[in-house]
Amino acid sequence: MECNGCEFRPELYYDDQYQIWARREEDGTLTIGMTDISQTVAGKILHVRVRRPGTLRPIGKPVATIESGKWAGPVPNVFDCVIEDANHDVLDDPNLLNIEPYEAWIARVRPSGSVDEALSVMVTGDAAQVGYCERTRREDIHCERGAR
Amino acid sequence: MADHHYLDNEEKSVVIVMTSGPSTAHRCATPFYIGAILASMEAEVSIFFTMEAVKLAQKGVAESFAAMEGGKTIIEFIRDAKAAGVKLYLCKPAMPGYKLTESDIIEEVDEIANASKMADLILACDKSMFF
Repeated sequence: MECNGCEFRPELYYDDQYQIWARREEDGTLTIGMTDISQTVAGKILHVRVRRPGTLRPIGKPVATIESGKWAGPVPNVFDCVIEDANHDVLDDPNLLNIEPYEAWIARVRPSGSVDEALSVMVTGDAAQVGYCERTRREDIHCERGAR
Repeated sequence: MADHHYLDNEEKSVVIVMTSGPSTAHRCATPFYIGAILASMEAEVSIFFTMEAVKLAQKGVAESFAAMEGGKTIIEFIRDAKAAGVKLYLCKPAMPGYKLTESDIIEEVDEIANASKMADLILACDKSMFF
């Protein structure tokens, strides 16, 4: 599915601004990545830095920092969690986030509460798609992919 | 994997004193970019506009130019910094020299403050930078 050329995956969970996605893993962790909207807005991503595994991340404290040629900012966090792992492929080649934003995850985190509790603050499925498309229209975002 | 990819810094406060304005356009984007990076690394970041930088806080000015040809406008860099958590202060004593009143100021500015506020911020912060 897509809106303005921005890929949307209904099985994933999103923050209310559609900056990040989260995926439930079998071991009780959540995988976090950037959406197609985010990687497009950022442009070519040059650096990604993740908090060291074992670090507690309260709500609002970034999981990672992204730097591109024209944008710098946090990968936001919407629930209490601890960093479990970083995607070393992405740390070594951040451009992967531009090429395959839904495969090139950034970090795995373990929620401080239950996984269901963490995901309850995110949106998914049809409701998420409506909001995702609404943002692409409101901000006239047309997604671009690939090595830049 | 190289260890330098991990963020380990403790929380700190940083004050960026911004004096550059439209006459040196090429100096007007980077401070906001650096402010956004610092804020996303959890520093408490304040940018204090004084001298010619107060012009950047005048409605319409930061929308009207970029630091490099074809680049993002300065207001976009300001908004990125705000979105990352940076607080913006405007030097009240500098405003009359540029014929600015409070009604001229962009909504992104958090506080119009006296010079003593800048002094307090600098004396209390961990790091200060000047552009």
